[in-house]
Amino acid sequence: MMRILLALLALGTAASASAQIRAPGIVKRVIPGLRQPPGPVAPADVLRADFLAKTGGDTIFFGNNVSGLSAPARTTLAAQAAWLRQHPDVLVRIEGHGDTGDTRNHAIAMGARRAEEVRSYLVLLGVPAGQVTTTSMGKERPGSPRAVTVLVQ
Amino acid sequence: MTVRFYHIALLGAALGIGSAAQAQSVAVVAVPPLSTPDDKQTPAGGSLAIAWQASQLIAQDLRTTSEIMPLPPVQKDYYSYPEVTAPSFPKWRSKGAKFLVTGFVQARSDDRITFGCYVYDVDRGREVARKGYVVAPGEWQRAAHRCSGLAYTAVTGAPGIFDTRITYVAESGVGTGRIERIAIMDSDGSNHRYLTKGGTMVLTPRLSPSARRIAFVSYVNGRPQVRLLDAESGAERPLVPNDAISFAPRFSPDGRRIAFSMMQSQNSDIYVASAEGGPAQRLTTSPGVDTDPSFSPDGTKIVFESDRSGSQQLYVMDANGAGQRRISFGGGAYASPDWSPDGEWIAFTRRQPGGRSIGVLRADGSGERLLTSGPGDEGASWAASSRELIFQRSDPSGNASLYRISLDGSEPRSVALPQGASDPDWSGVTE
Repeated sequence: MMRILLALLALGTAASASAQIRAPGIVKRVIPGLRQPPGPVAPADVLRADFLAKTGGDTIFFGNNVSGLSAPARTTLAAQAAWLRQHPDVLVRIEGHGDTGDTRNHAIAMGARRAEEVRSYLVLLGVPAGQVTTTSMGKERPGSPRAVTVLVQ
Repeated sequence: MTVRFYHIALLGAALGIGSAAQAQSVAVVAVPPLSTPDDKQTPAGGSLAIAWQASQLIAQDLRTTSEIMPLPPVQKDYYSYPEVTAPSFPKWRSKGAKFLVTGFVQARSDDRITFGCYVYDVDRGREVARKGYVVAPGEWQRAAHRCSGLAYTAVTGAPGIFDTRITYVAESGVGTGRIERIAIMDSDGSNHRYLTKGGTMVLTPRLSPSARRIAFVSYVNGRPQVRLLDAESGAERPLVPNDAISFAPRFSPDGRRIAFSMMQSQNSDIYVASAEGGPAQRLTTSPGVDTDPSFSPDGTKIVFESDRSGSQQLYVMDANGAGQRRISFGGGAYASPDWSPDGEWIAFTRRQPGGRSIGVLRADGSGERLLTSGPGDEGASWAASSRELIFQRSDPSGNASLYRISLDGSEPRSVALPQGASDPDWSGVTE
């Protein structure tokens, strides 16, 4: 008697679990015994994780007062370009950063130059120009001189 | 006791003439309590009470200068209304005063007050300046500041800075919780208020000559762009109707134009646009970064920084972009020039391996000297007197605050503010 009750309870839990995740358009198999993720995963986070895994990083570093690309930077950007060509619906923003020791406005210009250098290289490698925008953070966010590729959807 | 001290100071200044130190002469200015023809009530208090407070404020203003030593008001020196224009010169001569400030506060039938201000040369026994201000009773401080300015100008020949405004970026919070707001205050720190809410990153507020408008850089659209802010209403609009990155705005001395930088691809050039809107005119075309334009006081020239030579240096050009020539030639980098209101000096930030410091040079490149030792100083802005600058100093952990420094070589003085502060801009004398 007790054993039957437990089995019924187990069945009930499984049924309600599968009902919960059955949203319109999405069919997800529930495999018994497999741990489910703690909550719904945002598609942006999945995309971002995939982008980082396949490109080797979202950040390009520069020398002080330099906006030219180093060889490692070109390698990373080639991988970013390949990924972006495969995901034409994903828009990105390149955030350029100036040198922390610089003066306010020259740092804005250097951040903009770095972002534009990255954008030009991605476009050169076949990424549609409309997929990539730029901005400059000047020296407002501490850290090394860099340009960060941010997925904006 | 106090009087004796000033005698000694004056004697010391007199003896100092010819010494190697070349002591700066300090003028003793008497500020006895202002008078009133009749003690009438106003919404800001009785006219006699306002007169007493105003004379204290004038003495306090003059005490902040390095050129004037005020004899503060004491009740027993109160004079009658007729004596405002007929002071007793021998009395002030015996106290060592070179100048005397008198005046009166009178409540008017239209609910405003008349503030009379008179400055006398005590040795010669004659009036050197007078002015009357009609203001709302609650604005007596502004009239007192202008009276201080009248006395300062009479003594030194330079404009007084007491009725001027300072705008800056107020910084609070850390990391992603950092909040930046544009703040404005009187030069003595009073009437401090915030003009933006803090949800958007803002940089480099610059006052129009009337101090009614502020050109600044906003990230409201995700990229740095120059916008105009009405200091009274809080209304905002973009300076130029495009989506390019633009920054480093500064008003022309007549307030009708704004010079600024705009990015085109990787190139930052200097442009000028009407403060009322309309297309921007391009002034520089060199590849690289041209930025931080600042007009000469007559509006005919612009000093700016450019890295066209390989390092950041200062250049001067005509206001239409013609005749660009380099004026700085030292090592490291020169940045953020600001032309003094009297046209004599250009303040700058110099970057060297040891850090950033503030210096000045003349428009022809001569007379260069550093005023601060850094290492985290930048963004100097002139006081209307052309004798003092306000600038930003950052500590090693990046916390910024504001300092004032005189050209006379004295140490920088910290400006007391309710939170961190950067990008100061000091207005001219507003009428």
